[in-house]
Amino acid sequence: MSNDHLIEARQIVKNYDDFRAVDGVDFAVKPGECFGFLGPNGAGKSTLMKMIYCFSPRGGGELSIFGLDPDKSPAEIKNRMGVVAQTDNLDEDVTVTQNLQIYGGFFGIERTELNAKIKELLAFMALEAKADSGIRELSGGMKRRLVIARALLNEPDLIILDEPTTGLDPQVRHLIWAKLRELKAQGVTILLTTHYMEEAHELCDRLLVLDKGKVLAMGKPEELVKNSLPAYVLELPASQKDQITLSGSLQIELHGDKLFLFAAAPSELEKVAVQFKGQFRIRTTGLEDLFLKLTGRDLHESE
Amino acid sequence: MNPNKTRKIPSFFHLVGAVWYRHYRVYQNHFFTNSFPTVIEPLILMLSFGWGLAMAVGSMDGVDYLSFIAPGQAMMAAVYTSAFEESYGTYFRMMVDHNYDAMLSTPINVTEVFWGELLYTGTKGAFFSLVVVLVLSCFGIIHSFWGLLVPVVGFFTAIAFGSLGLFAARLVKNINQFNFFITGVVSPLILFSGTFFSIDKMPPYAAVIAKVLPLYFFIDVSRMLTTGRFNSDLYIALPYILIVPMVMGHFAVKAMYKKMIQ
Repeated sequence: MSNDHLIEARQIVKNYDDFRAVDGVDFAVKPGECFGFLGPNGAGKSTLMKMIYCFSPRGGGELSIFGLDPDKSPAEIKNRMGVVAQTDNLDEDVTVTQNLQIYGGFFGIERTELNAKIKELLAFMALEAKADSGIRELSGGMKRRLVIARALLNEPDLIILDEPTTGLDPQVRHLIWAKLRELKAQGVTILLTTHYMEEAHELCDRLLVLDKGKVLAMGKPEELVKNSLPAYVLELPASQKDQITLSGSLQIELHGDKLFLFAAAPSELEKVAVQFKGQFRIRTTGLEDLFLKLTGRDLHESE
Repeated sequence: MNPNKTRKIPSFFHLVGAVWYRHYRVYQNHFFTNSFPTVIEPLILMLSFGWGLAMAVGSMDGVDYLSFIAPGQAMMAAVYTSAFEESYGTYFRMMVDHNYDAMLSTPINVTEVFWGELLYTGTKGAFFSLVVVLVLSCFGIIHSFWGLLVPVVGFFTAIAFGSLGLFAARLVKNINQFNFFITGVVSPLILFSGTFFSIDKMPPYAAVIAKVLPLYFFIDVSRMLTTGRFNSDLYIALPYILIVPMVMGHFAVKAMYKKMIQ
């Protein structure tokens, strides 16, 4: 590898006809890191992902993965990568094990090695009992786990997940997070997109907040929040706007039908909260608040 | 999981083979349902033509009418299976099941995906034309053991029509537009390529066009094989049926590349 970064992107651009989906994005991912793309629908997350897993040639800029150019060496890159796409693209007409056998063939994994690997991965993803089941018999959560198991067949150095837990129940989601953390502990680099703040917080060492194809912020989740927002927030219905008396040091944001009052210390917010007899609670600021501040909820709700 | 292990990238042929194998494994469950019409259709045609048309026509090009149309039945089986597989089938794999996305997330690239598919559709074409030849031989209208080579022709026919199917899949905006492909391209090719009547009966210019279009020579060679009556056409027909499907395949795969990688 030519540098210490597993992925390095400089000023990458992607145009679809007149629409600029990715507009000069810079970032770098270190080996062993879990890096997240965070952004509203249509922010350019998936497009960025597609360029990294060699589905979509970039429109400009420089991109290197494992020190290789995806335009020139897609097979070499994909050989060391595991991809979990947004939709479960399993082969519905064959069993769980057969799905993995077929996919393993795409990497040229030798049969005995492959069968051992399949056993190991089914156990890892808690799917042993389903080894001979048809895909249609699986629940949504099981399918997702199988797609992740499939992406691990080639023992990838980098695993890419596009919205890994969208549409899954909280239990499955926590199971998948636990598995991803295990992988990370084994040294696998993880790149994921999400629009769940909780997921970003649980998994990602660093985040890139993206909107309209541009980078809005990048860094560690806690630091991003700390650097951009006061530590405490009070959420009120927007209809109460005229009934509150505000002290000068409060930061105010309006998103949809909610009014957000930010302050560095809870005491400043308590003065407002007492007016509502404790009906609304003061809490610490989080990624969700940052996300709303950066991307602006109103705009995207109307889309 | 094991960051220092480097795995060798499989060869082009291995990857094409892996795609072929994927299709074989995934679709073998539907094999019986899919092959049923292929076998039944020529049987029905034979019965209806045998009772009706064959009596009226008598002989064509020096053979009895049923023997004349027999090789065309085998080719039709190859044509239909491949044209449908690579048009509707490709569309479903692309837009509904997202199978290509899964394959393309591995060292496989677009070229290997679609050559693997064409090879698979060729295999199906060979198998179905073999079944038709075996069925028709029960009627005593396969006159030569050369007829056992008809599946080889069926293989190349299927690659040619599979390529046409891919072009259709490249062009359609929605699934209904495949009707234009089947009714507007595949059916006329079947009707005007010497399947049911000798193209000598057509006006000379039309006969020349028919010869250039990709089905005539496949049927011509099949007919030489099933009747055992070879003629000098073979010198043109043989290179044609071997080369043209490969050239069509090459351009079809290129067209799909533009569709897949955007």
